[in-house]
Amino acid sequence: MIQTINLCKSYRISGQVIKAADRVNISISTGELVAIIGHSGSGKTTLLSLLGGLTKPDSGQVLIEDLNLWSMNDSRLAQLRNKRFGFIYQFASLIPTLTALENLYLPTAFGKGYDDLKNRAMDLLQKVGMNDKADFYPSQLSGGQQRRVSIARAFINNPEIILADEPTGDLDEETEAEIIDLFKTMNQERGTTFIIVTHNKSIAQQAQRNFSMRDGDLQEN
Amino acid sequence: MKKFALYKLAISNLRRKMVRSILLLLLATIVSGTLLGATIFITGMKNALNIGTYRLGADVLVVPSENEAQARSALLAGKPTSFYMNSSVLEKIKEVEGVEIASPQLFIEPSSFTCCYSVDLFLIAIDPVTDFTVRPWLKNNQHQSLQGNQIIAGRSLPIMTESVIPFFGTLFTVVGTMEPTGMNFFDQSIFMTMDAAYAMAENSITKSMQPLKLEKGIISAVMVKTDGVINPDRVATRIMYALDGVKAIASDEVISTVRKQLSGLLTGIMTVSMVLWAMALFMIGFAFYMIVNERQRELGMLRAMGAKRQHIFLLIVFEAVIITFSGGLAGLGVGFGMLFALQEKIQQSLQLPYILPPPAVVRELVAASLIFSICTGLLSSLIPASLASRLEPYEAIRKGE
Repeated sequence: MIQTINLCKSYRISGQVIKAADRVNISISTGELVAIIGHSGSGKTTLLSLLGGLTKPDSGQVLIEDLNLWSMNDSRLAQLRNKRFGFIYQFASLIPTLTALENLYLPTAFGKGYDDLKNRAMDLLQKVGMNDKADFYPSQLSGGQQRRVSIARAFINNPEIILADEPTGDLDEETEAEIIDLFKTMNQERGTTFIIVTHNKSIAQQAQRNFSMRDGDLQEN
Repeated sequence: MKKFALYKLAISNLRRKMVRSILLLLLATIVSGTLLGATIFITGMKNALNIGTYRLGADVLVVPSENEAQARSALLAGKPTSFYMNSSVLEKIKEVEGVEIASPQLFIEPSSFTCCYSVDLFLIAIDPVTDFTVRPWLKNNQHQSLQGNQIIAGRSLPIMTESVIPFFGTLFTVVGTMEPTGMNFFDQSIFMTMDAAYAMAENSITKSMQPLKLEKGIISAVMVKTDGVINPDRVATRIMYALDGVKAIASDEVISTVRKQLSGLLTGIMTVSMVLWAMALFMIGFAFYMIVNERQRELGMLRAMGAKRQHIFLLIVFEAVIITFSGGLAGLGVGFGMLFALQEKIQQSLQLPYILPPPAVVRELVAASLIFSICTGLLSSLIPASLASRLEPYEAIRKGE
């Protein structure tokens, strides 16, 4: 379970204080698929980063199974991100000079690795329908195909929680539907928790629970 | 493969901006090559000087007082010259206290050389009975006393043993070659007996287009070996006190002049090399500072994937070290290439002796050069790598957008 207690984060831009997270309290159970919806600048990406331990809150706590993320030192926090979190971004996040398969291997550079790494990676590529393009470089793949590879990469360490920031932001409707179906399948088959940040209401409606965010304030719909 | 190796990501990152990587590699190659070439060259000159000091043999060189500068030039740079004095000085020098052996030499500057060689060669006539300067440079199996029209060739001359060469209309047979000395005085000279030189001069009147005007009984210099009891400087002073019109130069004095020249040269070369190195350090460091800035989002993503601060630090350092180490390897070729291409010209323009250091020393210098190139990568990337490792993941991802 991932939980936040009075989570606050603000930025000072041109002398003005912007509240990105204003006393956010949320509790998400293991295996849930939730969506956070909101306009640009509402604070949803910041909240996702706070949940994933990528940025430190001004106050409040982020708990993973009762373990406060920010009570850990940087090294342990990095280990936790490596083992328990998977991140999916809206932008092209593949390394252009690595093949699809090598991009999948990348997170293992920071962990213990696996004896069956290649099989593991190929299984994931098969899951996202990209096993026949394992040796392709990102420039040889379409935007949707690249997104599929980055989704597969997020699963290489079999994380408990996937944090997806506008995962279908720049994709056409058909590919968007395929990606959301893929999330649902992974959620059901693996019991992985999904927290998806989006401004797309139709995606939010497919989640088990959805939240709205406005000026750093989070409300469950 | 159990896990993805960080160095593979570093190599992949370098491949991404190939032109920039090649330019940085070229910079590292030039710096490394220059430093290696300069170090080997300086070591070679020091080496030649040490060997030269040991093997020059003569503790004191006696020449006509008005020809001191020419004598120094001949001895240090092997510049062909000719000056003469009466051989009667020889007997007087032998009588000076502290002189153990005194051997005459006659310098002849060939005005024409009928063979195909373009090198500046120097004809030196010696007395094989008393000579002690040429003998140590002869290989054991070639050592024999010169007689008649026999000559010995310096190592730099493209002359084979048993070949026959004419000088001033007289044919001479090469009976031996010397070991390399690193001193043009020996390496570019032809040695013959005094009697052969006088006979050659006499024959040249009828046989040569350019006759050699040389009176029998004249010499150019006297090489003196001291008894080891009296200091060579004091022996030189005593010789000048006993004889008028001569200059006695202690070989230590000659060598110390070279050492002074070498010391200045060494300081100059090292200063230029260090400035070059500092510039390379700054430029590589600045390039990696820019690389870190332009890859902030990616570095943030790697942190999100679980990279620790030290992973990011190592990644940037790896990239810099791969560049500088590869540059160091390529620099070996450039360094040796420059050395062999330019050593003769530099040596000639500086008029200093030079011998390539022994293989063991060259190996040490090569190893030191490679270690140095690794250190260059480490040092230049220290600040950018440290900055990259301190980026907050979310800030890095946002700034990179």
